[in-house]
Amino acid sequence: MLVSYLTLGYPNREQFLTLLKGLVDAGSDVLEIGPPPKYAKYDGPVIRRSFKQVSSQGYDMWALLREARDAVSVPIVILTYLEEWIPTLEDFLIKLKDIGINGVLFPDLLIDFIDEYEEYVEAVRTHGLKSVIFTSPSVPDPLIQRASKLSDMFLYYGVRPTTGIAIPITVESLITRVRTLVENKLVVGFGLSDVEDMRRALKAGADGVAIGTAYIEEIERGGVKSAIALARKFRGVLDGS
Amino acid sequence: MEFQEDLVPKYWYNIIPDLPKPLPPPRDPPDSEFSRIELLKRIMPKEVLRQQFTVERFVSIPEKVREAYINIGRPTPLLRARRLEEMLRTPARIYFKFEGATPTGSHKINTAIPQAYFSMEEGVNHLVTETGAGQWGTAVALASRMYGLESSIFMVRVSYEQKPQRRTIMQLYGAKVYSSPTSLTEYGKKLTSQNPDHPGSLGIAMSEAIEYAMTNGYKYLVGSVLDVVVLHQSVIGLETINQLRNLDEEPDVLIGCVGGGSNFGGFVFPFIGAQKGTKYIAVGSFEVPKFSRGTYNYDFPDSAGLLPLIKMITLGKDYVPPPIYSGGLRYHGAAPSLSMLIKEGIVKWREYNEREIFEAAQTFLQAQGIVPAPESSHAIKAVIDEAREARVKNEKKVIVFNLSGHGLLDLPNYESMMKRMS
Ligand SMILES: Cc1ncc(COP(=O)(O)O)c(C=O)c1O
Repeated sequence: MLVSYLTLGYPNREQFLTLLKGLVDAGSDVLEIGPPPKYAKYDGPVIRRSFKQVSSQGYDMWALLREARDAVSVPIVILTYLEEWIPTLEDFLIKLKDIGINGVLFPDLLIDFIDEYEEYVEAVRTHGLKSVIFTSPSVPDPLIQRASKLSDMFLYYGVRPTTGIAIPITVESLITRVRTLVENKLVVGFGLSDVEDMRRALKAGADGVAIGTAYIEEIERGGVKSAIALARKFRGVLDGS
Repeated sequence: MEFQEDLVPKYWYNIIPDLPKPLPPPRDPPDSEFSRIELLKRIMPKEVLRQQFTVERFVSIPEKVREAYINIGRPTPLLRARRLEEMLRTPARIYFKFEGATPTGSHKINTAIPQAYFSMEEGVNHLVTETGAGQWGTAVALASRMYGLESSIFMVRVSYEQKPQRRTIMQLYGAKVYSSPTSLTEYGKKLTSQNPDHPGSLGIAMSEAIEYAMTNGYKYLVGSVLDVVVLHQSVIGLETINQLRNLDEEPDVLIGCVGGGSNFGGFVFPFIGAQKGTKYIAVGSFEVPKFSRGTYNYDFPDSAGLLPLIKMITLGKDYVPPPIYSGGLRYHGAAPSLSMLIKEGIVKWREYNEREIFEAAQTFLQAQGIVPAPESSHAIKAVIDEAREARVKNEKKVIVFNLSGHGLLDLPNYESMMKRMS
């Protein structure tokens, strides 16, 4: 499974829509879209740069999300921090459902809302949305097991402490540890950016990978077209070539 | 037949997979352009960073590191404090793990060795760190020498002047020891230009060491607080589990002192992981009241704020500790894993003042002959209290504590305490 991440409105409105369609044509199974947050708690410098660029252009988030939804038919999951939406959660979820977004993924759910996370999962579902749960190596085993059962679509496992900084880790060991705990599909991401990392993840038992920072870096280097070419390459690795 | 060396584990233990809740990850501050997590990549040995972020329950100890552990005298002894039991007339049985039996006199060498070893393997030739009381600097100086590496130690100026013996040991091992603030770094220069007699602080020394490592392409070694340090220190608790098994003892109460939390975590976490023991007590200093007054928040591990934010029990990075004689317990925070276990009520805490600590140290040294490090004496005070309680309740419980270091190089501090007490 190829899960592709895009920052909402990056690099600009038009090219964002081109990228979106291109990533789907290149074989993405699911799109994760991240609106620029107030506090990018776990995002690395590359994604933070993309947020900055988008924020300086100032679009209507909802209008753009609606356009994105209409442009492609694969499932779209919104990647955003729960902390930010708590005061208006109902409204937020209703609006997402209304424009046809499929689900949400809150990277801070298990970290900052551990005592009530199941209630939030329930709230998301009550609004007809999928709740994809984010886990990481610092989540204890019993909780990974529980979250895997609760998570819709797949369980997201972020292997690095922040996106886009190639902290040295052993991807295989990290995946081997959780693979036996996860019955659900296991999608590995968060700082997984090169093909080698990706091959290792798949070999260790991941069912899919989530890619984000690598696209943004590619856009910075060669524009949206080369990011789409990169997605094709990743698709190829997934398909075993 | 079992050899002593067989008691030294082949794996370190990491408690993170067994914690009750997810451990909040290190973070960059919200509006910062420069990434402190990225900085870690530049200053820490690669393998140390890899171990910090590759969370596995058991991590294989490289054979060469295990040999080095054995070579410095591991396993350290697990001794029964019979005379102390008699003096306290307690039905409890008291054991202590004696980390003071290492060449540098404390547990700090347990992480200095693997960190220096990994650095050598990576082709690094120069290690840098800071030291307050001198225990950590001594450990880095020796570990560097063991692997033929240069070392530079930034020693807090007041300690540099008050603890010349610590300085001498480091120099004998071949380390360069600098009185911090120095003129070797921009940060140090700034401070000394404002105040030529600046007394320094651990936070300043830390910031200088990081800057010095960064500008010269050397590597920086971390002495406590981070998960990877607690991981290496688990050799203490894992050995103790083996030693208790050979004695046919089941521990009830486990006790250790807390500066940054590395000897406590290293000693106690393997017991928690193995579900051994029923009561775990972390002891801090009353004068540095992080447990009673600290908050559980994201904070910087260093005063200059060069390292990533971590979630821990903290008095704030700018907290200025009073000059207590337990230099090693003056740190403002505590390891994230330990902080969580305290917040969750799994680990209990105590805080004792200097007078109580001094008396406990004296009781212990008169009973057992070993002069304890002032830091470790905090654990002793809690042991005495537990043993007295056992007497009142007539409970034959088994109390095991970590004597994290000896105090033979802290005699000037003992002397000044004796004067103050009389
Ligand atoms: C002998 C001794 N014990 C304990 C400590 C406290 O550190 P930690 O809590 O990391 O073990 C120190 C620190 O310098 C020390 O030297």
